Amino acid sequence: MTNLLHPSRRGLLMAGGAGLLTAALPGHVAAQGAPIKIGFQLHRTGIGAAYGRWYERTAQAALKAINDGGGIAGRPVELLFEDDATDPKRGSEVVDKLTQSDGCDLVMGTLFSHVVMGSAPRAGELKVPYLVCSEGYHVASGALNRWTLQPGITDVRAQISTMAPWVAANLGKKVTMVFPDYAFGHDHRDFFTTAIQAQGGEVIAQIAVPPTETSFTRYFPQIPTETEVLYHVMVGPAVLTFVKELGEFYGTGAKPALFGFIDSLEAVDTATPGLEFLEGSHFWEAHPRVKPADAGEHEAAYRAAVGVDDNGASVSDAADVSTYSHMFSTWETLYFIKQSMEAAGYTGPADRQKLVEAMEAISDLPYGIERPQGAKRFNGKTHQVFGSQNISQVQGGKLVKVHTTTIEEGVYEDAVDYTTMSF
Amino acid sequence: MRLAPISFEGFCQGFSKTLGASSLAVVLTPGLAFACALPPSVILTLPTGHYITAAALTVALTALMGAAAQRLPVMAPRLLWERRVILPVTLTSYLAFLAFLALVFVGLFGERDPMHNLMTLVFWTGVWIVVPLGSMLLGNLWHPINPWTGPVRIARTLLGRTRSIGLARLGHWPAVAGYAGFAWFQIVSLYPDDPAVLAEVAMGYWLVIFALAVLEGEDWLEQGEFLTVIFGLIARVAPLWHESDGPRTRLMLGWPGTQVLAMPPLSASAVVFVSLSLAALTFDGLNETFWWQALIGQNPLEPTGRSAVVWQNTGGLLAVWVLTLGLILGAITLCRRIGGGFATGPVMLSFLAIAAGYHAAHYLVMLLTAGQYTLAALNDPFLTGDSWLGLPPFYVSFGFLTDPRAMPLIYAAQFAAVLGAHLLAVLLGLKLAGQGARPVAHLPMTVLMVAYTVLGLWLLSTARTG
Repeated sequence: MTNLLHPSRRGLLMAGGAGLLTAALPGHVAAQGAPIKIGFQLHRTGIGAAYGRWYERTAQAALKAINDGGGIAGRPVELLFEDDATDPKRGSEVVDKLTQSDGCDLVMGTLFSHVVMGSAPRAGELKVPYLVCSEGYHVASGALNRWTLQPGITDVRAQISTMAPWVAANLGKKVTMVFPDYAFGHDHRDFFTTAIQAQGGEVIAQIAVPPTETSFTRYFPQIPTETEVLYHVMVGPAVLTFVKELGEFYGTGAKPALFGFIDSLEAVDTATPGLEFLEGSHFWEAHPRVKPADAGEHEAAYRAAVGVDDNGASVSDAADVSTYSHMFSTWETLYFIKQSMEAAGYTGPADRQKLVEAMEAISDLPYGIERPQGAKRFNGKTHQVFGSQNISQVQGGKLVKVHTTTIEEGVYEDAVDYTTMSF
Repeated sequence: MRLAPISFEGFCQGFSKTLGASSLAVVLTPGLAFACALPPSVILTLPTGHYITAAALTVALTALMGAAAQRLPVMAPRLLWERRVILPVTLTSYLAFLAFLALVFVGLFGERDPMHNLMTLVFWTGVWIVVPLGSMLLGNLWHPINPWTGPVRIARTLLGRTRSIGLARLGHWPAVAGYAGFAWFQIVSLYPDDPAVLAEVAMGYWLVIFALAVLEGEDWLEQGEFLTVIFGLIARVAPLWHESDGPRTRLMLGWPGTQVLAMPPLSASAVVFVSLSLAALTFDGLNETFWWQALIGQNPLEPTGRSAVVWQNTGGLLAVWVLTLGLILGAITLCRRIGGGFATGPVMLSFLAIAAGYHAAHYLVMLLTAGQYTLAALNDPFLTGDSWLGLPPFYVSFGFLTDPRAMPLIYAAQFAAVLGAHLLAVLLGLKLAGQGARPVAHLPMTVLMVAYTVLGLWLLSTARTG
């Protein structure tokens, strides 16, 4: 019904930038034939809404670019967005609706891990490919099924582990970790502690902060004085309070080097008053928010298509900072779908199994407009993609990229071989 | 925004079969969390404790000084302008009904994305926020666009029906039931933002009210239909309002609350209705706080979603309602015992100011965020690049939510609405307590007002999941 009333796109929101990309693409061919329908499980409402808004915007930009370039195997592509309210139960129903009622060829786009965990079993039952953009280690850990893949973004295990060599070599080997006391923080605690040990370093204190905490002053005295690196991954509404109180705790005296994950400040301007204490500190980024001096040749076209400026903010509002380090995953996932459908000779839902097999056969994913974040390597056995990571330093309130890892640094031993599982 | 959303039957059927398996998987699988997506809060870094203390002192001092002085400003209406009615309500209401039908159609068959569907956007930002906010300033804006009045009049005329079936004897109880269901739908149910769900519920509700009003007469809407009741009550704080009398209408001007003083005392069912409106607003804020999330065992940085907390939030809503009603009636009774006066019906009218102020403060940020989607959708309803409102294409932008210059201004506006509402409530309370009330009688009510001010401002400044 949706598309009877409103054929494909939401041109309104995409208008400006996508045109630039279109102009940059050589000889685009008009797509013909029945459209390929891709269901997008969107966190439009609920706690994930801030990310959902940018995931939608990026996916729309990729859709426009793909359709302007001739679609998939010459067929136009449609995205059907369905709100999952960032709720696992709703997520499962959304997979059901997109597949059964709307006739989507596959479903993609989920970010929040609990929604992935709630939805993937249903995708398995319906035998529909389910491509998530969630960073979770859940795919590669073997917890999911043959139909669930993560081809557009690396997982937290790879992200965290690859930070240790650089941290040990450049910031110090005695690390104190401050993290929220739940699964997200525990991933950091476990993966980084192991990784830094391999570098001859040591986590000398692990400070777990209850998720309901909104003031942190009483935790700071637990930071050992011999700490060389303070690894912090606080998230949520109280992040600004955390930084402010940390600044008050150390004052102008000596302080350890700070290392964090951009998840703390995704969609937040690092020049925001109150964040001055972060000046000089380092952050992990998947995709550098501020366009690096040595950015790849496709970076500008990608930013223009999504409507993001060189600081990672919306072209229409410099204060509206995007979730830049994560949202490329929807773009790259759409191009992964295009590549695998064309490889499989996909014609319709009857070819879904063939499609997953084609996806599993993909390995090298070179840098290009299809992958603006960088080249990737897909592991068909674990259904997880691997890629490079970046480290940026806050300089003059801006994130300046100072290091890029290789893909190999993030690769770890397979924990599962999904290709041996039945469909 | 917390716009969040399946149909009641879907919820009931799916609850047992799907939730069991999926939530079990979440619990049993280690290391699978994604970071929290809540933006950092500028408000948490402001010295809101000082603001709250200052507001509490202001409310307390105003009440005590007013009670001691026993001299209050005169509040009388002034006629600004009188003219003929240009568009009869039957016509405007009928047009509003047609617009409502169009929205239901869009909800059922239009865009599935709630932020691109006019049913969701127009209802939650237009009807539920803009109409009451406008009514607080300009008088009852719902009256001319009430989608029942016209169709009911027309139906009763066509049917030749002039009698009633005695629904009026039920007082405001039908509206209490309607509002309770609505509050549950909005705050607790799984998908109040799903365009199709919202359209089905809205259409079903419209049909029930239409049938009852045709049987009873359109005047019944004023006490039996909850939107008509709540908007009518909130509009009573407006400094400008229309008084219609047959073919003539008079534009009136007066201090906020002037109209409230002219109202008859509230009946028992209306008292319960007002307490419900206060409780619903309070719980709508409370259920998102870290405090509440901790109480019901949810991790506020990664809440499971509404499906996991239906019973907890249902219980919370009921508990807040019972507490609100109990505290207000308790305070009024105590006042009466200490110093006379304080009849419940008149005194309860003073709480209309709080209901209005809370509504404005509570929904201000939602208006500024979801409102942008509404403007975009109204500007280009068919997503064809049109510009019906003359606006250029624009990206919806939430940058102000983490802007340390913008957010203090927004908090200041909310602060002003909550404090202003309580000061007005205190003033109205002093006037409505009755001549027989001694100054000391105002103490319990003052304590309640101060506590309510603190609660209201705390809800707006504490860590939240929405």
